[in-house]
Amino acid sequence: MKLSTKLTLFITGSKLVIVLLFVAALPILVKEIASQYTNYTLKQQRSKVLSIVKKNGLDYYLQGEENYGSYTLLKEEFIAFLPVKTGFSLDTIKDAQRLIEGDTLSYRVLSHTFKNKQKTYLLEIGKTTASIHQYNKPLQRFALYVLITLIVMTVLIDLTFIRLILRPLGSIIKTRLVNRVFPFDVEQKRIQTNTTDFKYLDESLLLLMDQINEAFYKEREFTSNASHELMTPISILQNKLENFLAEEGLDANQSVAVVEMMKTVDRLKKITSSLLLISRIENEQYIRKEELRPMELFQEIVDEIRHRLEEKNISISLDISPDALLKDVNRNLLFQLFFNLIHNAIKFNRQDGRIFIKGGRSNDGKYYIHISDTGIGIPKEDLPFIFDRFMKTNLAAQVGYGLGLAIVKSIAIYHRIQITAESEPGKGTTFKLRFN
Amino acid sequence: MKVLIIEDEKTLAYEMEAFLKKSFYVCDLAHSFRSGVEQLELNQYDFVLIDLSLPDGDGLDVLKHAKKSNPGAAYIIITARTNLKDRVSGLDLGADDYLAKPFYLLELQSRMQAIARRKFNITEEAISIGEFQVDIQNRLVTCDGQSIEFSRKEFDLLSYLLLHKNRVLTRAQLSEHIWGTFVNDDYDSNYIDAHIKNIRKKLNACGSTEWLETVRGVGYRIRK
Repeated sequence: MKLSTKLTLFITGSKLVIVLLFVAALPILVKEIASQYTNYTLKQQRSKVLSIVKKNGLDYYLQGEENYGSYTLLKEEFIAFLPVKTGFSLDTIKDAQRLIEGDTLSYRVLSHTFKNKQKTYLLEIGKTTASIHQYNKPLQRFALYVLITLIVMTVLIDLTFIRLILRPLGSIIKTRLVNRVFPFDVEQKRIQTNTTDFKYLDESLLLLMDQINEAFYKEREFTSNASHELMTPISILQNKLENFLAEEGLDANQSVAVVEMMKTVDRLKKITSSLLLISRIENEQYIRKEELRPMELFQEIVDEIRHRLEEKNISISLDISPDALLKDVNRNLLFQLFFNLIHNAIKFNRQDGRIFIKGGRSNDGKYYIHISDTGIGIPKEDLPFIFDRFMKTNLAAQVGYGLGLAIVKSIAIYHRIQITAESEPGKGTTFKLRFN
Repeated sequence: MKVLIIEDEKTLAYEMEAFLKKSFYVCDLAHSFRSGVEQLELNQYDFVLIDLSLPDGDGLDVLKHAKKSNPGAAYIIITARTNLKDRVSGLDLGADDYLAKPFYLLELQSRMQAIARRKFNITEEAISIGEFQVDIQNRLVTCDGQSIEFSRKEFDLLSYLLLHKNRVLTRAQLSEHIWGTFVNDDYDSNYIDAHIKNIRKKLNACGSTEWLETVRGVGYRIRK
């Protein structure tokens, strides 16, 4: 799940929980507020009544009567004075039933005793409980609507803001991490952001890329150094033996011994140069800017390798359009790649065997080349490892140094060629190359 | 002919000297950038062999110096750096050839002979051997005025043996000259022998090929 989606979901969720809690509490809250407000109004009314009594005397209400009572038209509110025993004291607000003109109704009643001219009176002010809670429902509904609107608005704002805030992360990934090729271009602009975390991430990635570049350059330097350091002693050995072989007075046995030594040095030389070739390809030290026609390349290889074909009387058939053209390749490397494959197809073939080379376009428009032989094949358990360095299969047959296919693989990777091998022991092997 | 070998690896320089002396080249050795430049100021050479990686300077700079003080010489760059870039810049600066270490001294010599033919206009007359005339420049083999057809590889093989006559050439030396150094890992196979067999067959139609000897366990030699 995307970070922005997660954040939005979390924010929306937490808001919903709060809203639900609030909605659940809303009736109680509204009720409480209404009741508190009623109590307050009752107290206000009491003060007002008492101040009138103080100012005009109680008779203003009693008009000579023993007690006084008054109520509104719908009996929603009432006010009453009545004398009580001296010493009786009361000052409460509570819900109680009162009988007014034959109707028994529930009221919130404020009861307050006070003294007037040596007599104690009880003042009661009441308000029907029904009228207290009449606004509860509309209030709740209104609050709910306002809340929902607010939530929707804040979620929309959050969504936009989160997108805006997370945008640098996307560009960091896009420009720093996706589809990068060695060596990295570290001279890139910093990602524009004022979020410290993203700045830190960007800086760290650039630093990491720098370190990788450094390691990469060191390896390249090592390759070059190693080549010099190894090739020079091999050179000395080879040239010394060469001079030694030319010496007068060397008998036949000695000559053969020198030649054997030369063969060993030659082997050392070829292993070293193969490893260097692979590491140079992996370090991308070759230019891929040439064009070539596979047909011409194969004819050239066949020409070069004809003596080996004749040696085993192997026939080779080329089924390739002369117009086919490969672009952005390194000619020498592709020569080496196909040379090695055809060389193997001969080496592991039987006497009077055949080699088929077929090129064409598959349904998706990609160019492919298949090279099949009628050779001894590769055992199934060895097939996944044939491209590994120093992997030697078919040990019964004449083997090389185990680097031929490793070179093929590295050249293929360098040219973004997919290469796979299929084989049936005793029948033959097919190498399939797909150009991208 | 006079040769200056600028190579910091002394053993290697001595081997090259020993080899070239046998072919009647006169050699001077320099083991550093400085002594190389000094020698070039003092003497005139026909050939200058330059190792690219010298302890106190870049071989390519020696080449620049040398082109001024010895403009008539032929230059061969020798290096273990088989980088394409070095190769191009070496040839750009006017090197006549380029050899990657390790190389066979035989190969060095035949490159020098090729340069000499080209650069110093040395025209060799057709070499006669047995009943045959071999014109290396025009790639022709004749016998009794009749020319004998050889494939490119066959002729290369024959002429290489002829250029190094009276020397046993191993199969690896022949193979590397004709098929190059790109990795072919089974020169032990007998394709060189197959070519020699073909050459003998073609020559035998006209005359004896006793001069083309097989040296058991070693290789081939043309004795003259």
